Amino acid sequence: MKYTRFEKARIVGARALQIAMGAPLLIKPPKGVVDPVQLAMLEFEKGLIPITVRRRGKLIKGPAV
Amino acid sequence: MASKATINALIKKGLSKKLAEKVAEYYTLTQLKKVSYEELEEKIGKDAKKVFEKLGRKIEGKEKKEEGKKEKRKGKRRKKEEKEERKIKERTVKDEILKILKERKEYLPPIVVDELAEKIESKKLHNKLRIIVEKAIEEYNKHLMEPFEACGMVAAQSIGEPGTQMTMRTFHYAGVAEINVTLGLPRLIEIVDARKDPSTPMMTVYLEGVYRVNKEKAKEIANKIEVTRLINIAEIETDISNMKVIVKPNLKAMERKDIDMNDLIKAVKKLSKVEIKEGKEKIEILPKDENYRELRRVSEEVKNLKIKGIDGIKRAIIRKEGNEYVIYTEGSNFEKVLELEGVDKTRTITNDIHAIYNVLGIEAARNAIINEAYETLQEQGLNVDIRHIMLVADLMTSDGTIRPIGRQGISGEKASVIARAAFEITVDHLLRAARKGEKDELKGVAENVIVGQPIKLGTGSVELAIDVKKLGKVKK
Repeated sequence: MKYTRFEKARIVGARALQIAMGAPLLIKPPKGVVDPVQLAMLEFEKGLIPITVRRRGKLIKGPAV
Repeated sequence: MASKATINALIKKGLSKKLAEKVAEYYTLTQLKKVSYEELEEKIGKDAKKVFEKLGRKIEGKEKKEEGKKEKRKGKRRKKEEKEERKIKERTVKDEILKILKERKEYLPPIVVDELAEKIESKKLHNKLRIIVEKAIEEYNKHLMEPFEACGMVAAQSIGEPGTQMTMRTFHYAGVAEINVTLGLPRLIEIVDARKDPSTPMMTVYLEGVYRVNKEKAKEIANKIEVTRLINIAEIETDISNMKVIVKPNLKAMERKDIDMNDLIKAVKKLSKVEIKEGKEKIEILPKDENYRELRRVSEEVKNLKIKGIDGIKRAIIRKEGNEYVIYTEGSNFEKVLELEGVDKTRTITNDIHAIYNVLGIEAARNAIINEAYETLQEQGLNVDIRHIMLVADLMTSDGTIRPIGRQGISGEKASVIARAAFEITVDHLLRAARKGEKDELKGVAENVIVGQPIKLGTGSVELAIDVKKLGKVKK
């Protein structure tokens, strides 16, 4: 699913908090990367974070064509 | 040169013997078929008309005009037909575009679809139609804002920041031809506050048809709309000893403005409580009650008496732009000026937004707001993306009337008590709300900031949930 940048920020942020509080990682950390935010971003890019967004209402782009 | 054959032929056609003889003096029958009316008239005088009639010839000038008119009518008809054909072709292209949109489940605004159809039709790109539409969809989606973007805040800052660079001073004689127009920050404030009368109303009157290219005709219209008062075209004397006001018209000035004595007299007759005596080159006005106060009142009224022109138009100036004449007026009376013959109703504009709202409706008013605000900023050298101004205009006109941004308008109609109290007149709002027992649902930005909660825009709009499918993969 295509996330808006707010959704992405929220997801990455929540995951980074979990990592910072000691949660196990879902990827193998590359050498030298310790920052939770960076690690969360790597997980997000691989699509591994099991957090998603609940969107309420229909996303309408304009009047019915 | 009079040939008997010619004479007889002419008599047969119906001319009198005398006339036939006269004509045959100068021309043979074949020559008569080609000679111009003017030439014949020179030779035989007024009878030329009769000759032409009997010969079945139309008088040259008129004949050519008829031909010209026919050609014009044919040309117009052809143009109309071509236009209709084009419209039908555009509609089929449009239908194809809409079909593609439907199957891809995408959206393009109607105006974009129309423009695409027109361009594809005019440049004959039917074979590339699909690619063009797909590219258009891609570009459109790239430009879309994401949901819950704080567009109002962005728009406010985008207009406000250049606003700090605008001058507070209004320049005199800014604009076309010595007409004073409010510029810069004061003008922007006028627009956003939806002021009912702008401080410098102005109209740009475009003309059509003959009036557009002919200077004299354009002057005619300018004289029709510019207000001429009696004092501009006549000498007014107050004769105290005889208790009357004497008006001596200045014929030259009257001629320049296209006014005759009858117009004058008609206007003067409208005065109340006076007796009017028309003289040879003057008009005497005597107040019915003979006292100084009446005399003075009459004198003042006479001086300011409007003879010609539309109320509100102080000055009208004609200018040539390209190959047409355009009239700029100081003062604005949109309704009345549009009614005049020769005025192009599709292009004439004014800077009085409420006038546009009253005459042309709310959508036109919205466009007027956008144009006026955009031009005001452009004139100051500031480049603000038009979508921010469009947002402001949309907000002002969203309920069908022009609402000012401010206490009397949008800001004062907010549902939240705290937001209104934070804007202006704090204690009033809080007191009234407390007395009524009002509830504030904390839906908007201002109240949430005051209370200390995240706002419902941006990341505050996101509701997280566990993605069960991905969680399954994690356990492995």
